[in-house]
Amino acid sequence: MAVDVEPRSGASRRADGRRSNPPVVWVIAALTGVAVLVRLSDPASLPWLRNLLIVFGSLLVEAMPFILVGATVSAAIEVLVPASAFARIALLPRGLQLPAAAAAGVAFPVCECGSVPVARRLAAKGLSPGAAVTFMLAAPIVNPVVVASTFVAYRGRDTLWVMVLGRLALGFVVAMAAGWVMGRIRSGDLLRARSGEVEAREVDVAESRWRRFFGHLSGDVVFMARFLIMGAALAAAIQTFVPQSIVDGVAGLPVLSLIAMMVLAFVMSLCSESDAFVAASFTAFGPAAQLAFLVFGPMVDLKLAALYAGTYRRGFLPAVVIAVGATTLVATMWIQVIWG
Amino acid sequence: MSTHGSGALSTSASDGLSTSANEGLRFSGPRVAAGLVLGAWAGLFWFLLAAGRTSLYLSSRTAWLVPLGAVLATLATLGRLATARVRNPEPLGNHETWMFGVIVLPVVLLLAVPPATLGSYAVGRRSASTGGGIGASARIVSGPIDLVDVAAARAVADAAAALRARAGERVTMEGFVTEEQGEADRFQLTRFVITCCVADATISYVTVVDAPPGGFETEDWVRVTGPIYPLGSDILVQAESVEPIDPPEHPYLTP
Repeated sequence: MAVDVEPRSGASRRADGRRSNPPVVWVIAALTGVAVLVRLSDPASLPWLRNLLIVFGSLLVEAMPFILVGATVSAAIEVLVPASAFARIALLPRGLQLPAAAAAGVAFPVCECGSVPVARRLAAKGLSPGAAVTFMLAAPIVNPVVVASTFVAYRGRDTLWVMVLGRLALGFVVAMAAGWVMGRIRSGDLLRARSGEVEAREVDVAESRWRRFFGHLSGDVVFMARFLIMGAALAAAIQTFVPQSIVDGVAGLPVLSLIAMMVLAFVMSLCSESDAFVAASFTAFGPAAQLAFLVFGPMVDLKLAALYAGTYRRGFLPAVVIAVGATTLVATMWIQVIWG
Repeated sequence: MSTHGSGALSTSASDGLSTSANEGLRFSGPRVAAGLVLGAWAGLFWFLLAAGRTSLYLSSRTAWLVPLGAVLATLATLGRLATARVRNPEPLGNHETWMFGVIVLPVVLLLAVPPATLGSYAVGRRSASTGGGIGASARIVSGPIDLVDVAAARAVADAAAALRARAGERVTMEGFVTEEQGEADRFQLTRFVITCCVADATISYVTVVDAPPGGFETEDWVRVTGPIYPLGSDILVQAESVEPIDPPEHPYLTP
């Protein structure tokens, strides 16, 4: 069986008319080489490499199913929900759109990786950028599974309700604040442009609904997966080479402890359904610093940064980092004043 | 089946595979490639499931993600391959081909790498601030004491009090050797506690005293039996027996 693997332009055929080596052969050769190298070199004998591969693998094995769920929901929205529905929502005042978008996150119990393709699809269908971003940032924090996991992680502590309710409230507030900032972006300027050719290869608008569904599903997974892989590789490398103890020295310091925990959440790139257990383990840090970890991390971390960079236009990533970071910092500073 | 044009695969009514609606449709390289990439991930998830390797990456609490990923990736693969024929197939570009390769690379790595778990290197990377914050104090009161309870006792006052109340009780714990503290008859018995995946691993450990001198090396898996004594910030197990064991099927503990 043969499929067309020639490059669109360039050296598909040489000047003498003979076919050049198609890149698919080189890709298969490279992947085979990697497999052979790994089997022969026994990476488990190198502790750092073993650590790197295990953390990298675990991040992907956990995140990929959520990407698949998100892409499935995204594809269903694309083929089942008419664009006019989102156009009507976009006419509502922003003061109503943002709380509604944040509240919609309650009904979407998946991790942050799953909310990105859905938000992308919502924005592409006409939902305002502010509302789409608010939904994307709020959903990984305010959904009932994450609220329950936070409750379980802090059960038996004096700070139980500060952590559970504080995380829920900050999830809403910070997501809406960031959505408000992103609301200044025009609808057509939010998403990174994808090549029309690439879109057309995945989906033909003239195709039947179920054919378009699978086209959007596979297109979203393939599109998101490469950025997820890059982010997971970076997060695994930092977890492998940078000891967590670098934050120990600032545990008791105001403001710095908040920033340190936000930086730690960024590099650890944990799933929002498990991060409460890790935050709770940082017993030297107060509830405000742990909340900074639990609110900032699900909205901005290394793997998400890669996904955002691939999904949204240039300028979105620094803007969302600043908006989420500043709001989280100010909010948790108040919490630090009251609860420590 | 026969190929036409620039290598695209075509089918026609004459090959018996297509209906009249599919006449003139040919396989699109990009769509077939996307289907194969999704199939590679489906294969990885099915492999993890069949080989029992899920516990090397995920906790028992999140192990359901692997069958979910396997089913969804399989459906996405079948759906993509079933819809891969189009009237005017586009060729697969260079950049696209390499991008598909990047997405398959983790699959190749995880299939090729031998089964392995976090070890003493990872212990050194974890923060000294972490105490394994697991709210499992109730288990200490009622059930057999394990390293999850020890982690809870290091983080939660009630759990610490419950453990102190059971001081001297005989326990059996399994873990790996991480540190000998300069004394031949002492080491730390360590286990990682994970909630979702290995990336969120925290450490739990007890200090084993009166162990057979020089009998064990770092990262050896052992089973220790003896009375447990919470002493200030340390928790000791006075070894009555220390026996080597194979790494367990579930190397990470889940609260």
